[in-house]
Amino acid sequence: MKPVKRALEGTEPMRESPLALGWTISTVGILCLLFPAIARAQDAGPVPDQSEINRRLMERIDQLEKEVQALKAQPAAPASPPSSPGPAPAPTPQTVPVVEEAPEVNEVAPRLKLNIFGDVGLQGYNGSDTTFFLGSFDLLTTARLSDKVAVLGELLFLPEITDNAIGVDVERLLLTYRPSDYFHISIGRYHTWVGYYNTAFNRGEFFETSTDRPFVFAFDDFGGVLPMQDVGATATGKIPTGKLGLNWIAEVGNGRAWGINVEPAQNRQDSNTSKAVNLGLFMRPEKFSGLQLGFSVRHDNLSIPGPAIHELITAAHVVFTNTKYEILNEVALDQHLVAGGPIFNTTGGYTQWSRRFGNVRPYVRYQFFNAPNNDPVFVYAPPNDLAPQNYTAFVSGLSGPSAGIRYNFTAHSALKFQYDRFYLRGLPDENGLTGQVAFTF
Amino acid sequence: MKNPTAAFLPIVVAIAVVFMLWAVGHGRPVHAAGDPIVVIVNVSNPVENLSLSELKKMFLSERSRWDTGKSVAPVIVTAGAPERKAFLKIVFGMSDADFSNYFMQAAFTGKSATPPKEVNNPSALKSFVASSAGAIGFVKALDFHGDGSDGGVKAVKIDGLSAADAGYKLRM
Repeated sequence: MKPVKRALEGTEPMRESPLALGWTISTVGILCLLFPAIARAQDAGPVPDQSEINRRLMERIDQLEKEVQALKAQPAAPASPPSSPGPAPAPTPQTVPVVEEAPEVNEVAPRLKLNIFGDVGLQGYNGSDTTFFLGSFDLLTTARLSDKVAVLGELLFLPEITDNAIGVDVERLLLTYRPSDYFHISIGRYHTWVGYYNTAFNRGEFFETSTDRPFVFAFDDFGGVLPMQDVGATATGKIPTGKLGLNWIAEVGNGRAWGINVEPAQNRQDSNTSKAVNLGLFMRPEKFSGLQLGFSVRHDNLSIPGPAIHELITAAHVVFTNTKYEILNEVALDQHLVAGGPIFNTTGGYTQWSRRFGNVRPYVRYQFFNAPNNDPVFVYAPPNDLAPQNYTAFVSGLSGPSAGIRYNFTAHSALKFQYDRFYLRGLPDENGLTGQVAFTF
Repeated sequence: MKNPTAAFLPIVVAIAVVFMLWAVGHGRPVHAAGDPIVVIVNVSNPVENLSLSELKKMFLSERSRWDTGKSVAPVIVTAGAPERKAFLKIVFGMSDADFSNYFMQAAFTGKSATPPKEVNNPSALKSFVASSAGAIGFVKALDFHGDGSDGGVKAVKIDGLSAADAGYKLRM
């Protein structure tokens, strides 16, 4: 006890006597335990009779039962906040709630997006009257229906070739399912992956550097020979090849209808059970950012009078694009194979170079096209270049340069001037100047 | 019809090939030297390193999933921020207008590409990244403390280098 006494008297530090510390804690603890009991005993006063205690308890039980019944009869109320909130815990990174499914980036955009594109211009060709023209008015709507499902609809208003009436065309209507980067599939009416130009620019004059498409990739409802649009399913995706950047393409569609004043895309009814199949590969090597190389092969059984004709279209491209340079090179071979007969080969291609200087982009293009005069298919839809004096002619051969300049006078509008000189087989040479304003809003 | 195609086409193609090879070498983005830009992801994301090429694909909607399977959700500060301007230039070689047009054209061609979510300031950006498991964004190094006070986000290396390393490419 001596150490305890010394510790309590303060004559010796407690740290020098663990036993004294233990005794002190024990004493204080016993006093703490006894103090409430002592206090209650002091407040209690005289002890009541047991029957009186029982009576009070029964009254209290009855009162509580009534309160419980009353509470049960009331509708559920929201939980009340704690009456006396404790101190907030220190913030840590783990306290931020983590959303398991990341919100898709399109959450920031309205569900339905609308972009409008248009172009107007002035055109003059030798041998025809200079004219203002309305190019197209294009309503593009897109929407993400879910993480993996999207839709695209494109409604196009544009003047008909044969008269000045404005025609309406559901240019594209696609529902796309994209479960992963390796597989996207779309069903509906689409622009085919025949060549690069068709799916890189579609109907968007605003996105094109030049005022028009290369002749070989002209739309089939505007004098072109290749099937640029189809109704069916189109699929694409990456191939896990790392830095090689390979992608695949597969399409199955109704194929093209041939005929004068006939809609090329078979929107409602295919003329035969056989379907057009297009398969392709393209590569975007990581080491050469902006470079793309690719090819596609498309087969279709054509439904035209006479012997059965198979169409085989092979297209290849090497392009390099970044914000400064645009170098496009494409060739296409369109073969019509008559059963038990000859093969008719149509070739076409172009090379186009441009370089951007600020808002100005000068460009040059050289293109060629050669089709057999006796191709049995072109009787039903002859290729033509839509030049005013030639839009009913059979343009079987075309070659020549174009040069132009594009000036982006705002971020969403461009002014273009283009000079064309074409040598045509069996027709007068063409010299044409086109001014175009293309815009989006 | 005169037919100059046969004579001119091989020359034209040869010049095109030479020009393309030259352009490929000269089309790479220029890396500036200045204050670093830190790429951040959600703290639950196991990724520690990304290449510039991966970064480009994620922000241009060419890669939609992380290796974990979660959706990639890029976020970017609104136009005018210096780090945004530098990031677009270094990673994509684009201006703001080019970036905007890229997504417009992607939508037009049906690529299902969606532009990054835009927020007003670095704090909002960090909050978004902290609350979204698949989010990825970038802030100036001055806006990232890396001591846990940023709340639910972490920095990732770019091409194996952190923002403090010499040779780090993302600089304003």
